[in-house]
Amino acid sequence: MREYFLRRLLQSVLVLFLVSLVTFALIHSAPGGPVRIYLTPGLSQEAAKVQAHNLGLDQPIPIQYVRWLGDLLQGNFGYTFKNHIPVGKILWPTVGNTLILMGVAWFLSLVIAIPWGIYNSTREYGLSDQSAAVISYLGFAMPTFWFGILLQELFSLKLNWLPLSDMYTMGQARNILNLLPHLVLPVTVLTLGFLAAYVKYSRSSMLEVLFQDYIRTARAKGMPERRVVFRHALRNALIPIITVLGLDLPILVGGAALTESVFNWPGMGRLFVEMAMAREYSVLMAITLLTAVIVILGNLLADILYAVVDPRVQLAGRGGRAA
Amino acid sequence: MSVSLLEIKDLTVGFPAEQGILKAVDRVSLKMEEGKTFCLVGESGSGKSVTSLSIMRLIDYDGGDILSGEIFFHGEDLVQKSQEEMIKLRGYKLAMIFQEPMSALNPVFTVGDQIAEAVMLHQKKGKKEAWQDAIEMLRLVGIPAPEVRARQYPHELSGGMCQRVVIAMALVCKPEVLIADEPTTALDVTVQAQILDLLRQLKAELNMAILLITHDMGVAAEVADQIAVMYAGVIVEEGTVEQVFSHPCHPYTLGLLKSIPGYESERGKDLYAIPGNIPSLAQLPQGCRFHPRCVPAREKCRLEEPVPHDLGSGHVVKCWLSEGAERAEKRSPDLPADMNQGEVNGGKEVRTL
Repeated sequence: MREYFLRRLLQSVLVLFLVSLVTFALIHSAPGGPVRIYLTPGLSQEAAKVQAHNLGLDQPIPIQYVRWLGDLLQGNFGYTFKNHIPVGKILWPTVGNTLILMGVAWFLSLVIAIPWGIYNSTREYGLSDQSAAVISYLGFAMPTFWFGILLQELFSLKLNWLPLSDMYTMGQARNILNLLPHLVLPVTVLTLGFLAAYVKYSRSSMLEVLFQDYIRTARAKGMPERRVVFRHALRNALIPIITVLGLDLPILVGGAALTESVFNWPGMGRLFVEMAMAREYSVLMAITLLTAVIVILGNLLADILYAVVDPRVQLAGRGGRAA
Repeated sequence: MSVSLLEIKDLTVGFPAEQGILKAVDRVSLKMEEGKTFCLVGESGSGKSVTSLSIMRLIDYDGGDILSGEIFFHGEDLVQKSQEEMIKLRGYKLAMIFQEPMSALNPVFTVGDQIAEAVMLHQKKGKKEAWQDAIEMLRLVGIPAPEVRARQYPHELSGGMCQRVVIAMALVCKPEVLIADEPTTALDVTVQAQILDLLRQLKAELNMAILLITHDMGVAAEVADQIAVMYAGVIVEEGTVEQVFSHPCHPYTLGLLKSIPGYESERGKDLYAIPGNIPSLAQLPQGCRFHPRCVPAREKCRLEEPVPHDLGSGHVVKCWLSEGAERAEKRSPDLPADMNQGEVNGGKEVRTL
């Protein structure tokens, strides 16, 4: 187990390094640049050069990269070009806000989708199964921003039941009572998206297991059907579901840029969009790297859960499962 | 004559399909006696497994319907029972083992757990006691170091070991009837012999009746007391092992016997194979179901379905050709003259190995 973790850790460091290299190169090769934002008709070429020099943007790209990496290793994400604010100060609060929004939606969708999928697998093509199929189609097919706008139109503009956007109502205490009504609409949009996939995964995963020989063996033992489903089938069906969940984990932090933008949710997804517009390299790089870390952690977590659920998976030794 | 422990009367099992209901088992009757082994022999698709799953009433889960007939166990009709009632019998009085031992065991539970589970379900014992029973049973089926093995997962055991575990799981509650559906097919030959020996020995120890399902006449000859040969959903010949092997009367039985390598052929000679394939249930031939593959078939075979014909002392054959077979019984176990003739013609489809 320890050897496995060490190996995974080394792999992760390498992957992170490559991610930093690639994103740095990509962002810097994108057209436009931070200096251009400060260019006003009155700004002379000379002044622009001075500006670029002050920001360190006149250095060769490799030098810029090494300097940035050096700062990063000291826990310093850098500063924004515009107001010279430390990136961490902008970034971390948005991470928390995104976690609240996505966490609630994710948890809700799991709690609904997995039992629903299991139920549907035992009553294939029944009413419940058919409705799940319709909802899945809707969830997959409807653009989230469009669905979000529809909900806003109905529930806040027409009916005036729920706030239109933002995380808290301004001028009121920032507590959970203030937060909850703001959560409802974006969470609904996001939950539908997750639910669409998870209800299908859990149904099909369960269906596959229910036709296995060992399920027949369990029935031949005289086991009540409920026990067959929940003890013998579920544990096996969870194995592939865990993979999907592990791979989806980064979304929790990465946020949904569109949903956050529609509902003006001060999360990381929205921040990324805004900062991309402003060419704030250091913020973009920080978000990208953070996401990479979460991807790696998500994979690792899925692998560990695998080993917990499936005794055939051995983490230790050379036969260990790769990411 | 002893009373039958399990008796099937005119069992018909169908599967709903686009073409209507396909009868996988058609008016099958058989009787099993205490402490005896009954062998159901036939090719894949002949309805053997459907028959056995019907006894367990597991056929309900595979989409099959018992259309008519009765299955009496201790005088009670299992067909009339609800699944809730069957749960109390399955794994307790009626047990079943399956063809693929590796896939018949749940990969995420230890083998000890899976055996103990049956005890806990039926005998109201605690986990500790059930676990002891499981270890005892593993010892009985010949697994060395059962305390260690019980804590292992199926993937840590060999195929032969897994089949022993499956047998232990089926027998841990000391059932009265054990249904073994091709228990040795997935195993290699030496292990096959061990498992058959084990079943024979356990049958004597627990005094249970075994319904052994196999496509292998060799296996049947070794362990059976009574044999029924199934073809396309019907029993075509039935009798004691002595009657069926010494005086096979149905051309299909003869074909199966002749297909055993080394039974009649010599090295270097072509292996015998029955020409053609088992018909699809959707397109069963008129008359005798075997007639398209039966070389000596006559006009009557093509038109009318044969009726069971008792050759005496329970040797029953469903074949028009056997009408004069009482005479044949007195001859050598060889084929009637016209059947021998036919085989030469049928030899076109015989494979060369």
